[in-house]
Amino acid sequence: MVAVVVAVVAVAVAKVLRALSLNKTYALPSGNVTALQNFSYDFKAAKVTAIVGPSGSGKSTLLNLLAGLDSPSTGTIYLNETNLGQLSEAARAELRLKHFGFVFQSFNLLNILTAWQNVAFPMGLAGETLQKRKAHAEALLKRFGLGERLHHLPYKLSGGERQRVALARALANNPDVIFADEPTGNLDSKSGSIVLDALFEVAAEGRTVIIVTHNLELAKRAHELIFLSDGKLTNAPTNLSELALT
Amino acid sequence: MIWSLAFSALSRRPIRTFLTALGIAVAVGSMVIFLSLGEGLRKAFASQIGSIGPDLQVSFGDFDASASFTMLPELPAYYLTELRQKSSEFGIKRATPLLSHFRAGLSPSNSFVFQGLPPEENLADLFSGFKLNEGRSLSIEDETSEVALIGAQVAKRSQLTLGRQLRLNGDYSFEIVGIVSSSEGIVDNSIIVPLKSLQAALGITDKLSFITLDLDEPSRAAETAKKLKAAYPDLGFQTRADVLGVLEQGVKVTDVVRLGISTIALIVGAIAVANTMMMSVFERTREFGVVRAIGARPRFLFGLVLGEALLLSFVGAVAGVILGRLGMIAVNAISINLIGLEVAALTLRLVIFAVAVAFLMGLVSGLVPAFRAARISIATAMARE
Ligand SMILES: Nc1ncnc2c1ncn2[C@@H]1O[C@H](COP(=O)(O)OP(=O)(O)O)[C@@H](O)[C@H]1O
Ligand SMILES: [Mg+2]
Repeated sequence: MVAVVVAVVAVAVAKVLRALSLNKTYALPSGNVTALQNFSYDFKAAKVTAIVGPSGSGKSTLLNLLAGLDSPSTGTIYLNETNLGQLSEAARAELRLKHFGFVFQSFNLLNILTAWQNVAFPMGLAGETLQKRKAHAEALLKRFGLGERLHHLPYKLSGGERQRVALARALANNPDVIFADEPTGNLDSKSGSIVLDALFEVAAEGRTVIIVTHNLELAKRAHELIFLSDGKLTNAPTNLSELALT
Repeated sequence: MIWSLAFSALSRRPIRTFLTALGIAVAVGSMVIFLSLGEGLRKAFASQIGSIGPDLQVSFGDFDASASFTMLPELPAYYLTELRQKSSEFGIKRATPLLSHFRAGLSPSNSFVFQGLPPEENLADLFSGFKLNEGRSLSIEDETSEVALIGAQVAKRSQLTLGRQLRLNGDYSFEIVGIVSSSEGIVDNSIIVPLKSLQAALGITDKLSFITLDLDEPSRAAETAKKLKAAYPDLGFQTRADVLGVLEQGVKVTDVVRLGISTIALIVGAIAVANTMMMSVFERTREFGVVRAIGARPRFLFGLVLGEALLLSFVGAVAGVILGRLGMIAVNAISINLIGLEVAALTLRLVIFAVAVAFLMGLVSGLVPAFRAARISIATAMARE
């Protein structure tokens, strides 16, 4: 049943995300901090890629660079042929709007908007009509089992429900890449695995799903694994459970 | 979408929004009251002088509105005889001498404007809608007697009744013999006494304040004034428009002062809006970071914050106009009582001006916070707790 749904909404030809020699240095009064060093990687469509590593190893920094939320000190990021670094701020926003989706650890829903309005928000930015926005937002929320929660404000939803609203919002403009920074970090294990299942389902549609995580179960289950240590891409230990993930 | 978001953002903090809007309302309201004073004066001048004043007013030298009340009469009386003799040459229907004397008192109810007129004049010719409410009118027999007609407003304001004595100075008092009014209200605020007795009381015999002329062809007043000026270069001849123009100049001077005071109020209001918006941008940094991450352009946040400032200013402006209107009712109640005039008037152009000023205020005070919102760094904003 799930497979049929997946086939229907699959992304036609997903765009490919590539990172080339990324470096990120933060200038602090106490001196420079190198958060990421010489990172290169080709992300695979239709796969879940997990980024793991100890705290402070540069996972969030990497995700921000890949998503065009911050600029690398040197290096380039491509979405197909588009070099993110050469786009204007407005064009990069447009690219995020149309091709990227985001899920954050702390949900980050707009608290003045109801569930369906949150999901419809990116479609509004893209200029969709109210009718289309409403219909599509409702369909997405129903898909994630939130058909009864359409008109709830975020504070009336549980953590797991909020994260599913956030996932629906991330999918609103049918993106190529989904970025998730510790999406289960604030959830109990049951809600967490519902959200993870949904993320795998989304990857199966042909999208690139990139998840920063401390979750061992997820690291094992992911199709691809990136292990960061002190801002560098290193080989993951053969026994994953030895990872000092926290 | 931006407007409904801006609205939701403002209603999320109802008390802060209310207080800021109240600040703007007070600023706009006080501006409306201050500026309405000028509008009221203009209206009063236009209706009283524009419609019922004489076709031409003759002064000694050029006419100056402020001097006419305070200065001693300077116009030699023989010009009246002169003008009457030449009346057919210049198309003058009637020439009336007028002597004005302002008796200042400690309070407005003790201050009077005495108008000396020949008692044989038919007052209905001079003042449209002239009406004798009580007592009797003046006649030729009153030429040298100390009697007075007082306007209905004066009577009410100073609580004067028939038979009472009205003191002009230590030696002279006038007995009230009639109470009068006119449709345009100008008589209501005057005290009309026989010209000769007023001259005697003031110790002058051969001087007048003005001569008023009614013309055979009122539409040619400006032309006639020119001809008269050529014949009598020492005199000034003012049409109704000239008199209004001089008064308008006087109101204009006060415009500057009133606008200045209003501007200070508006600047204070604008700072309040800017402060509120700055605070709200600061508090929502994280949320704005999220909105930008999702794909909003910098322009979107710029528009959102500016929209909130404009909305706030607009609501404040509407409340301010209402507040100003209530203030004007109070001001007019007082001014009617004191000087018999509604000094404040709310005109359409004033309402439009107030709303436009508030719009500008929202625009100016919203700009800096809007730039701030548009230029946040997404990654830093989202890292904030
Ligand atoms: N905005 C910033 N300014 C300065 N240093 C930063 C900033 N963001 C991250 N860092 C530093 O960069 C390193 C990597 O941080 P981060 O990417 O958040 O790691 P992780 O997500 O793996 O915990 C850390 O040493 C952190 O202190
Ligand atoms: Mg992190």
